Amino acid sequence: MSKRVLLEGVSVAYGRTRVLDPVELDLPAGSFTALLGPSGCGKSTVLGAVAGFVSPAGGRVTAGAGPVTGPGPDRGVVFQHYALFPWRTARGNVEFALKRLGLPRAERRRRALAALAEVGLAEGAEKYPAQLSGGMQQRVALARALAAEPEVLLLDEPFGALDTLTRSRMQTLLRELWQRRGTTVLFVTHDIDEALALAQRVVVLGGTPGRVLADHPVPDGPPDPDLRSLIARHLHALPTG
Amino acid sequence: MHSTPSPAGRARGRLGPALGAAGAVLALWSLTAWSGAVAPGLLPTPVETASALAAGARSGLLASDVVASLTRAGQGFALGALLGSALGFATGYLPRLSAAVTPLVSFLRPIPAIALVPLATAWFGIGETAKRLLIAYAVLLAVWLYVHDGVSRVPVSHLRAARTLGAPLHRRFTEVLLPAAAPALLAALRYGASVALLALVAAELGGADSGLAYRLQVDGQFLRVDRMFAGLLVLGLLGVAVDLVLAAIGRRFVHWGAS
Repeated sequence: MSKRVLLEGVSVAYGRTRVLDPVELDLPAGSFTALLGPSGCGKSTVLGAVAGFVSPAGGRVTAGAGPVTGPGPDRGVVFQHYALFPWRTARGNVEFALKRLGLPRAERRRRALAALAEVGLAEGAEKYPAQLSGGMQQRVALARALAAEPEVLLLDEPFGALDTLTRSRMQTLLRELWQRRGTTVLFVTHDIDEALALAQRVVVLGGTPGRVLADHPVPDGPPDPDLRSLIARHLHALPTG
Repeated sequence: MHSTPSPAGRARGRLGPALGAAGAVLALWSLTAWSGAVAPGLLPTPVETASALAAGARSGLLASDVVASLTRAGQGFALGALLGSALGFATGYLPRLSAAVTPLVSFLRPIPAIALVPLATAWFGIGETAKRLLIAYAVLLAVWLYVHDGVSRVPVSHLRAARTLGAPLHRRFTEVLLPAAAPALLAALRYGASVALLALVAAELGGADSGLAYRLQVDGQFLRVDRMFAGLLVLGLLGVAVDLVLAAIGRRFVHWGAS
C-alpha cells in the first residue's frame, strides 16, 4: 500500500520564470518526509509536480513503476484550504472518493462512516462543511483522501490555518494514520517544529528559484535542539524573500 | 449558519415592508388621480384600473394575451437558457475558448434586443419564429455571461481534488463543476427570465396580433390609460411570479449556502 516517489532533475517554470531549479529527491516507499521552506520557495510546486498538477519543465517524476503524467488516485492530496465539496455532507465527501471502487451503496456508506470514525468524526458525518470547524473540515479531508486508498499521501500545509491545540491534535492523528497504513507521506510546511515533530526526514527548500538546501534524517525520540538549530540556520541563511 | 433564519422565515420577514411600500404607492396614486392635478384621461384611478383588469379577464382577452406572451417568452427563454448555459460552461472551463469568444460577446452585449427587431423581422418575417429567436438571443447572452463567470470561479482545488480522487471527466462535470456552479446558474436563470420579459415586449411591439405588449400598443392608440395600467400591472406581476418560482426551485437545489 505504498509507493516509492522519485524526482530526477525536476525543474519547473511558469512561463519564462523558473520557479524551481532541478531537484533530486528519493522518497522510499512508506517513508514520512517533510518539505520545509519559507513561502514562495517552491515547496508546493514540488508537491504539485508529484501530484501531477504541475508539468515539469525538465526532469521526471516517478511514482512506483510509472512516470507521473497527471493527477491520479494512487497519489492522494490534502489541500491547505481543505477543498471539501460544500454541497456534500462529510459522509458525502468521503463517498465521493469511494465511488471509484464500484462498491454497492450500503458498503460505500459503511466504509465512509468507518473512515470518518477513524479520524474521530463519527458524530459529524451528516453535517455540511460549512457547519464544521476548520479542524473538523481537515479531518474530513484526511478521511476523504485516505478513503481512495492512495499509496502516496501529499499534504500541502494542511494545518496552517488551525489553532495551536487543534494543530497538535491533527499532527498526532496524522502520525497514527501513517503508522497504521504505511503510506508514503510528503508533508509540506513552513513550520520547523511541525516538520521535526512529524517526519522521519526533513528536506529544506529555499531560494529563488527554489532548490534543495539541506536534507536531514530526524532520529526517533525526544526533540533534538541541535538538529533544530542546524535546520534553523539553513532557513535563516536564506536571502529574505 | 445556525442562526440564519430559514428561507421561509426570511420571506415572511420581507413581506411586511413590501406590503407597506405597495400600500404607500397605492395611496399616493389614488391621491394624485383624485386630486385633479393630472389632466383627466391621462391617469386612471386604481378603481378604474381594477375594473379594466376585470373586464379583460371577463372577455377572455387577458387570458389569451397572457398565454400568448408566456408561450413566446417561455420558448425563447428555454432555448436561450439552454444554449447560454452550455456556452457558459464551455468558456468558463476552457480559458482558451474564452479568450477567443469574450471579445465577440463584449461587442454584442451592449446592443439592446429592441435594436434587433427590424433585422429579425427582415430575416424571419413577423411570425412567431422571429420573436422566439429574438428572446432566445437576448437570454443567451445574459445567461452565458453569468454562467461563464460562475464556472470560471469554481476553485481549481475542487477540480484537482476530484482528479486525485480518481473521478473521470463525466463525474467531474456532474458531481463537481455543476454543483459548484449551481448558485451562479440559478442567478443566471433568474436574470435570464427578466431579460426574456424585456425582449418579449420588444418583440411584440415589433409586430404581433396577440400578447400583453401588443395589447398595450393597441390600447395606447385609443388612449385607454386604464387598460394600459392594467396591462403594465400584469406584466410586472408576471415578472415577480416567474422570479419567485425560479427562486423557490433554486432553494431546493442550492441548499448548502454560498461558501
